[in-house]
Amino acid sequence: MTHEILRPHFPWITLVALIVIVGIANPAFFSVSGFVILMADVIPLLIMAIGMTFAIYIGGIDLSIQQLANMVTVMTTVYLAQFGISVALLVVLVGGLFGIISGFVTTRLYVPSFVSTLAIGFIALSIAKWLSNQRALFMDATLRDAHFGWMFGNTMGVPHELVIGLLLAFFAWLLQTRTPFGRALKAVGSGELAAVASGIDVDRVKIFAFGLSGMFAAFAGLMFSVKLSGGDAQLANGFLLLAIVAVLVGGTPLTGGVGGIINTVIGTLIVMVIRAAMVYLEIDATQQQMIFGIVLIVAIALTIDRSKLRSVVK
Amino acid sequence: MYQLKAVDKHFPGVHALQAVDFEVQRGEIVGLVGENGAGKSTLMKVIYGAYQPDGGEIKIDGKRVRFQNPRQAMDHGIGMVFQEQSLIPNLTVMENIFLGFEKQFVTFGVVSWRAMATAARAQLAKVKLDIDPTTITSDLSFAQRQLVELVKVLTLEERIDGDLVILLDEPTSVLAEEEVKLLFQIVRGLTKRASFIFVSHRISEVLELSDRIYIMKDGAVVDVVHSNDADLDDIQHKMVGREINSEYYREHKQQAYNSNDVLVSFDNVGLQGSYRNISFDLHAGEVLCLVGTEGSGREAILRTVFGRDPCNAGRVKIKGEPVTAFSPMAGVRRGIGHVPRERKIEGIVNGMNVYENMTLAQIRKFARLGIMNVPAEKQLANEWIERLGIKTPSVAKDCGGLSGGNQQKVVLAKWRSSGSDILLLDHPTRGLDIGAKEDVYEMIREMSANGVGILLAADTLEEAIGLSHTIIVLKDGEIQKRFEYATGSKPSLYDLVHHMI
Repeated sequence: MTHEILRPHFPWITLVALIVIVGIANPAFFSVSGFVILMADVIPLLIMAIGMTFAIYIGGIDLSIQQLANMVTVMTTVYLAQFGISVALLVVLVGGLFGIISGFVTTRLYVPSFVSTLAIGFIALSIAKWLSNQRALFMDATLRDAHFGWMFGNTMGVPHELVIGLLLAFFAWLLQTRTPFGRALKAVGSGELAAVASGIDVDRVKIFAFGLSGMFAAFAGLMFSVKLSGGDAQLANGFLLLAIVAVLVGGTPLTGGVGGIINTVIGTLIVMVIRAAMVYLEIDATQQQMIFGIVLIVAIALTIDRSKLRSVVK
Repeated sequence: MYQLKAVDKHFPGVHALQAVDFEVQRGEIVGLVGENGAGKSTLMKVIYGAYQPDGGEIKIDGKRVRFQNPRQAMDHGIGMVFQEQSLIPNLTVMENIFLGFEKQFVTFGVVSWRAMATAARAQLAKVKLDIDPTTITSDLSFAQRQLVELVKVLTLEERIDGDLVILLDEPTSVLAEEEVKLLFQIVRGLTKRASFIFVSHRISEVLELSDRIYIMKDGAVVDVVHSNDADLDDIQHKMVGREINSEYYREHKQQAYNSNDVLVSFDNVGLQGSYRNISFDLHAGEVLCLVGTEGSGREAILRTVFGRDPCNAGRVKIKGEPVTAFSPMAGVRRGIGHVPRERKIEGIVNGMNVYENMTLAQIRKFARLGIMNVPAEKQLANEWIERLGIKTPSVAKDCGGLSGGNQQKVVLAKWRSSGSDILLLDHPTRGLDIGAKEDVYEMIREMSANGVGILLAADTLEEAIGLSHTIIVLKDGEIQKRFEYATGSKPSLYDLVHHMI
């Protein structure tokens, strides 16, 4: 019982505990300016993880986000000169379209989302390679600054990317908690059959959730591309695992229905702290994925709602 | 021989078994009856080892025992024949019978199917079931599967030296009358070797088969009667604490319906594999009950009306409009509400609170400029909580934590508040206690007085007779008989059963 009552509070307790532990080991961690920089760094991950939250919240998963972001870095770099700032709109729409296709394949063709999104991801990867000729592309610095300079500026010590990330998080939170779509999303995530029996268009809700996931992944890709001033079919590699970890550690289980955007913000901060701690402990970059792999397994084991799995007669 | 003494079992917030004394003699058939929630299934789980009691003791032949799991209980000769069939459909009959005990047929790591088949045949002979043990289980009829289930437990006979106690949980619920007779004959024949505990909702059957009957109510045994000097009304009275009569179904509140106002019209409608040539009209204010056994097509018909299963023959009209596109979304738009049988899975969303559940069918109506108007939702929820007497600490309480009766009221409130005037009730009182059932009956009467057309698949025949204006008896997907009547001229149980099987 106590476990059940405590479960919703695990994520922020974990976060606070981690911050305290890391802070004691390395007091420099507590400096406000250092913290702001760390947070700004983690914004593209936050945006990807927010998109992923929608997919996981309905009991699915979106494995295509990393490849979508890769594709978008290439697209942004290639089409920046042609479309200017509108390239942002273009790539977000393309990301949304890919997500919608994933959702369509999942709901109408009954392909489980982990397979459909994996396949869509490879399609995106292939497009990225084809579009970039398998080379790393570079942006024209003047064009970049003219159209997207606002993304990485700094106003009164607050990095713009942090503001963008928090605005997107707020928007997603609003969508999840305060709109008819969010309500339908919750119904589908917690009780899909009851949602069907209440006349909710479950397929449409799911397709839209995957569409959102794709749009957020695309936006994250856009930020990468601008930040690193280029595009490459491998630029966003490594972010899929981190995004899944952020969502699950935040307390949105793979079975869906509980958790949400706020949880993912907390989860992303946990990932950020772990990453900072690894840097401090001088853990080699090659070993970091290993640590996150283990964290992912532990997070799933701790957060999954076993009552939703098919139970055996005991 | 098998004895429970002052057995107690607590669950969070519930005292599920209260000092239960229970005894089975050698070769005896003991009946166990009680309403849903009386503690029958908890008691059975204690007996076959799925639950450990937290007070009292279990004795076999005077010796105290304690089972950690069903396997240990089986080793002491206690076996359970499951109501929800525990056979694996894609295995053969013999594989199912010896599931988990294949070792006896293994030489050098390989199973001898021939030896298993021979052994299985010997087991099947115990219940006079003449089928090939290599048949795939899903090819058997329900009655045959029920017997195989029994056979599976009877293999204890060879494995265990001592006495056997076999629990039969609602073994007759899917059987036809003839099959029930056969089963009883077999059970009586087996009493030479085993004792039985027979659990059923059908009190007449319990009376017929058992020697003694334990009557449970609210977690306690309220009486033990010998079936020779017991009668049905008496047992029923003790089970519910009072008599069931026409008052119970609110028959005095039944009003004539408006035969000019047709809400749902089926004209020779059919769905491949489920039902065919179904024609009926549902009128405003009418309670129309579909009666039939499992697989008679009544659930499928309800699903077609709601839009879940599109028909592929005939014409369906709802409120005069021919239905071409079938979907639950369209069904809800047409004013159809669906109270599903699986309340906890399809009725309420477990994990959403009371007001979220109540407005689920009309989310968009509660949005202002794209933002949910939660205060309006709460107000609606509070109105209905008061109107239907829903017991919940607050509108923000998770519906999964409410009792079955209150969950059902939330589901009904969901449809009524959204203005549905065609209501499909699929076993609306299943698993509810008496008080909650009466509330549901009251609501059905009230709705039909308000001109709502109700299509009902009742939990029991008594309920069907008590509640409806019209009864349609279905068998194998076809209409057998239609009863139309007013209060006072209701058909008897026999009339219905006669056409069902």
